[in-house]
Amino acid sequence: MIAVKKYVWLLLVVALLACNRDAQVREIPVNDFFKTQDRALYRLSPNGKYLSYLTLKDKKQHLVVEDLEKGSITEISKLEERNINFYCWVSNDELIYYKEKEGSRFQTDLYIVNKNGTQERVLSNDGKSKVRLLEDQLIEDKFLLVSSNKRDSTVFDVYKLNVRDGQMIVAAKNPGNFTDWLTDSKGKLRMAISTDGVNESVWYRENEARPFQKIITNNFKTTLWPVAFSENKPNTIYAISNVNRDKNALVEIDCITGKEKNVLFAEDTLNVVEAQYSKRRGKMDFVVYETWKKEKHYLSDDAKKLYQGLEKLIPDAESKIIHQDKNEQHFIVRTFTDRSPGAYYLYNSGSNSLKKLSDINPSIKEDEMCEMKPISYITNDGFKINGYLTLPLGVQPENLPVVVMPHNGPGQRNSWGFNADVQFLANRGYAVLQVNYRGSTGYGKEFYAAGFKQWGQKIQQDVDAGVHWLIKQKIADPQRVAIYGYGFGGLIAINSAVNNNKLYKCAGSSTGILNLFSYLKAIPPFLTSNLQMYYEIVGNPDKDAEYMRQASPVFHADKINIPVFITQNSKDPRINGNDAVQFVKELKKLNLPVTYMEKEDSKSPLNREEARKKSYAALELFLQGNLKKR
Amino acid sequence: MAMESVKESGYRKNFSLIVAFIGLISVLFVLSLFLAFNFSKKKIEGDFISAKTNVLEESIKPYNDFFSNKLPEISYYNGFLDSATAAKFVDTILLKYPFVKKVVFFDAEVRNMRYEDNGLNVGEFSVGMKNAYQFGTYIPEDSVKIFGPNAVQSNATLESFNELALKLYTFVNKLDTARTPTQEELFNIFSNIKHNRIDYFNIPRFEDLKIYKQMITKKLPSEPVYQQDMLSFELDPMKIKIKNNRPLLYQSVRIEPITYDPLETSSEYETGEITLGGPFSAYKLYFISAKSFIKKEIFGYFFPIAALILIFYGLLLLVAFLIYRNLNINHKMFKLQYDFLTNLTHEFKTPVSVIKIAGNNIKSAASISEREQKLYGKILDEEADKLNGLMNKLLAFTQIENKAIKLNEDRVDMVEFIESTIDVHQLKHPDFKLTYEVTDFTHFITDPVLLGSLFDNLAENAYKYSPPNRKQLHITARLIKDKVVLRFKDAGIGIPASEINNIFKKFYRIQNQYNQAGSVGLGLAFCKELVNFMKGEISVRSVVDKGTEFKIVLPFNQ
Repeated sequence: MIAVKKYVWLLLVVALLACNRDAQVREIPVNDFFKTQDRALYRLSPNGKYLSYLTLKDKKQHLVVEDLEKGSITEISKLEERNINFYCWVSNDELIYYKEKEGSRFQTDLYIVNKNGTQERVLSNDGKSKVRLLEDQLIEDKFLLVSSNKRDSTVFDVYKLNVRDGQMIVAAKNPGNFTDWLTDSKGKLRMAISTDGVNESVWYRENEARPFQKIITNNFKTTLWPVAFSENKPNTIYAISNVNRDKNALVEIDCITGKEKNVLFAEDTLNVVEAQYSKRRGKMDFVVYETWKKEKHYLSDDAKKLYQGLEKLIPDAESKIIHQDKNEQHFIVRTFTDRSPGAYYLYNSGSNSLKKLSDINPSIKEDEMCEMKPISYITNDGFKINGYLTLPLGVQPENLPVVVMPHNGPGQRNSWGFNADVQFLANRGYAVLQVNYRGSTGYGKEFYAAGFKQWGQKIQQDVDAGVHWLIKQKIADPQRVAIYGYGFGGLIAINSAVNNNKLYKCAGSSTGILNLFSYLKAIPPFLTSNLQMYYEIVGNPDKDAEYMRQASPVFHADKINIPVFITQNSKDPRINGNDAVQFVKELKKLNLPVTYMEKEDSKSPLNREEARKKSYAALELFLQGNLKKR
Repeated sequence: MAMESVKESGYRKNFSLIVAFIGLISVLFVLSLFLAFNFSKKKIEGDFISAKTNVLEESIKPYNDFFSNKLPEISYYNGFLDSATAAKFVDTILLKYPFVKKVVFFDAEVRNMRYEDNGLNVGEFSVGMKNAYQFGTYIPEDSVKIFGPNAVQSNATLESFNELALKLYTFVNKLDTARTPTQEELFNIFSNIKHNRIDYFNIPRFEDLKIYKQMITKKLPSEPVYQQDMLSFELDPMKIKIKNNRPLLYQSVRIEPITYDPLETSSEYETGEITLGGPFSAYKLYFISAKSFIKKEIFGYFFPIAALILIFYGLLLLVAFLIYRNLNINHKMFKLQYDFLTNLTHEFKTPVSVIKIAGNNIKSAASISEREQKLYGKILDEEADKLNGLMNKLLAFTQIENKAIKLNEDRVDMVEFIESTIDVHQLKHPDFKLTYEVTDFTHFITDPVLLGSLFDNLAENAYKYSPPNRKQLHITARLIKDKVVLRFKDAGIGIPASEINNIFKKFYRIQNQYNQAGSVGLGLAFCKELVNFMKGEISVRSVVDKGTEFKIVLPFNQ
């Protein structure tokens, strides 16, 4: 079937090329890039016989259960509100879900319902507390492990929620700073993670009767993510760790001593980002490491057989298991590529067959999207910087107008995959350059730490070096380079306008950070340890005031002499809206061409679409005005 | 006589018209000068009042820049200012804005704990200072810190802090947490504009303000301490640089207290004032100029206008003169044509009356003898020829003048041509002595008829304007540098130097005994037209009572 489809596509493409080689690339409407699927939250019943999902009808979300054998569909609920925190199967016949109350962001009521839509009843309607699901698996056939702040609104304790009567029994009390919990394969709560904002500690107990003991403490620069308890070795946990290493590895840790016992996967050049444990097989299935793209390394032959069977059906795409039944026979798989936001599939490992459930965004046609290619270059001070280049369709990769898009931060990176912003710009004829400047995650501890307090300095140079590289490759037209970003990306963009306005023709910032002092101010002053972490990454206003002043564009409006585009949500309580307004005022007083837009948070999706259209249209116009004319 | 009087009256009419015109524009000229002067006076006096705002605006610009650009920069630091950064910040301000005399920096905090002697405590809400520093040009290093540990004792007032802190508290207490306050509101609350002083608190985020509000009523368990920076700028209005952009209008501009009003200002001076705004409202800009100084400026303004009016007046006069001159020339032309008509009539009259007499004689004679018949025949024939010649001449001239004829070129044998001309004239006037001389060439191509006319006219003139014993003409033809040069030299009465420029004009005749009748004043004008038509030139040299020489230069075509 797929082969036939492909053949048809190929024919179509060939026919199109034959007709009109220089076919004008269709200008895709802005909102097409950002459409979201009208189906979400696919789940399988424990026995794998039923599929459930949320679907949108008349702007209302329904919970639907599909009988996979008979193909019959039952609408379980008619929810008035779009947002439900979650639902899940609690047996082969029953589901529970949260209805969100209107007007309050967190308050939720818990319901249980039969899979044919009957016998809906309220389990809990505590209006004050929030409840979050920890594990969507039943323990002793009646308990769900949830966390709730019903004891103290600032602290989440762990409870066993009886899905039969809604009773909640305390499973573990939170001393105040525990943020994450881990159960063993029997559902016993045995591990917890605490943080003081900077340092993360791992706590362990041998059984539920004992108190938690702190076994490891790490600085925020170090990663240690417990993955699962080992089935056959006592007091042993699998974890992704870069303790005493530069890159993440998958290791075994002795829970008594907190020491590393065994290494399952470690490479000096590869950074592990995920690891999958199979409860059924009681083994680690694989690790995922990320270079320019995520790759799997299998740790068991069973898993290799299973997942390679799946991957053969969806070549070239990245895939992720979203949910699976108890026997690990049916899987819900989410796929994507650089040119497609992807789709949901139902995979049957027994018959090795794949069934498409729905597209994430059906408006996106893969052949109209552009390829995202990995690139890399060496900076003057010897750092290797990786990045991605997306070239527009239908033109020679020579002398192109370029938009550089530095990513947000701190502690983020660009990954291979579908990016609506990038595709939008590429569709409008721009080559898009994304670079993982120093301080980006995923390239090791050293690379991450190299970006600390380098905003406006080394980070800026890394981005500039990327542009110089692109010009040297003759891909970029040196006269037509723009820089645009969100958050810290916006900071980099506007700083470029301040520092290096010969390289860039114009600069844009979308809800960007314009003032590092304001950024730090957003952290409440009583979170002293958390503040310390940000002081290390961004800068310490007591000691580094001069550097922070230098790296904050608000102070340097008078140094800008290229057109600037700024959007800001001035009503956002987390920022100091005055910064952007004052900055724009100053630019205007200096008679600089500045485009300023105020974004507004809108509840209605229709208004949101309208606002998005407006802001992207303004961006398009801004870029066109500054880059298209030579 | 009657004719003369008509001419005279026409002449007088024009003259009076022109005199009236000149009189009128002269009145206009004087009137506009007067108006222009009045206008200049009003304008400068008005400027003295209105340009004050301009001077104020220019002079206060650095202050406005300081107020709207530099003050908000304090908020950029979000309370993170410390003494070192503040010192740097203040240094740039002191350097750029000389009217800032001193800056006091209060490193302040908002918290739930009371401040005993260095802050404001209302309920659980406390705003207090940790440290205070003063910066200024003349402040010694050791007295910078005026409050806090290790501070020197100073008399410097710290009350500005309490004032603004109270303002902050009042605002927070009344804060409506459902509505984000506008930037303008916030700016008003967090700044305090006083006499020669501006205090400014950094504006916290709305989220922080909400927490401040909670802190009024209860102690927060997290024991938050929020950093606030307050800067108090002491300003010196006397240091404002006055930008007198009308130095010719305002002799002196000074900053004076608002109450300044000297009694001794005599009537010799013009004064004005305008209040400085904001923290300087107790001061004004005081403008003073001597009356004579303003007068200079009035004249400075008036002179260019007067010059323009004068130029316009001069142009009008020039136009009037040109019109007068043209009228005069036309008048003379009219007179010439009138003369010509008279001459022509006269010219025609003689042959016509001769023909009439001859006709009458033949009619009234009973019989005519053969001698009489021959006589009358000859008379009639001759007079008819005369009339014919006259008419031909007139016709040819009009034709040439209107370029209605074509050149009819032919090869001319010069010697033969001159000899035949001489023969004709000697036959007509046996007492006419004609000689000639041809050198360097024998033939050339030209229109023989036009050339014949030229020769005839010039020979006729030579004969006519010579006394009876000196009727002679010497014709020479030479080839000089591809040009045929013909000279006609007689020994006649000559032409006075004053008339030499007029002889080629139409209908012009020199008044003398030789041309009382039988001349229309067309001959030489006709010659000139002919020569022009043949693409040549004609010129004349003459000595009175000695003779005249005409020189004709024609192109030589082989």
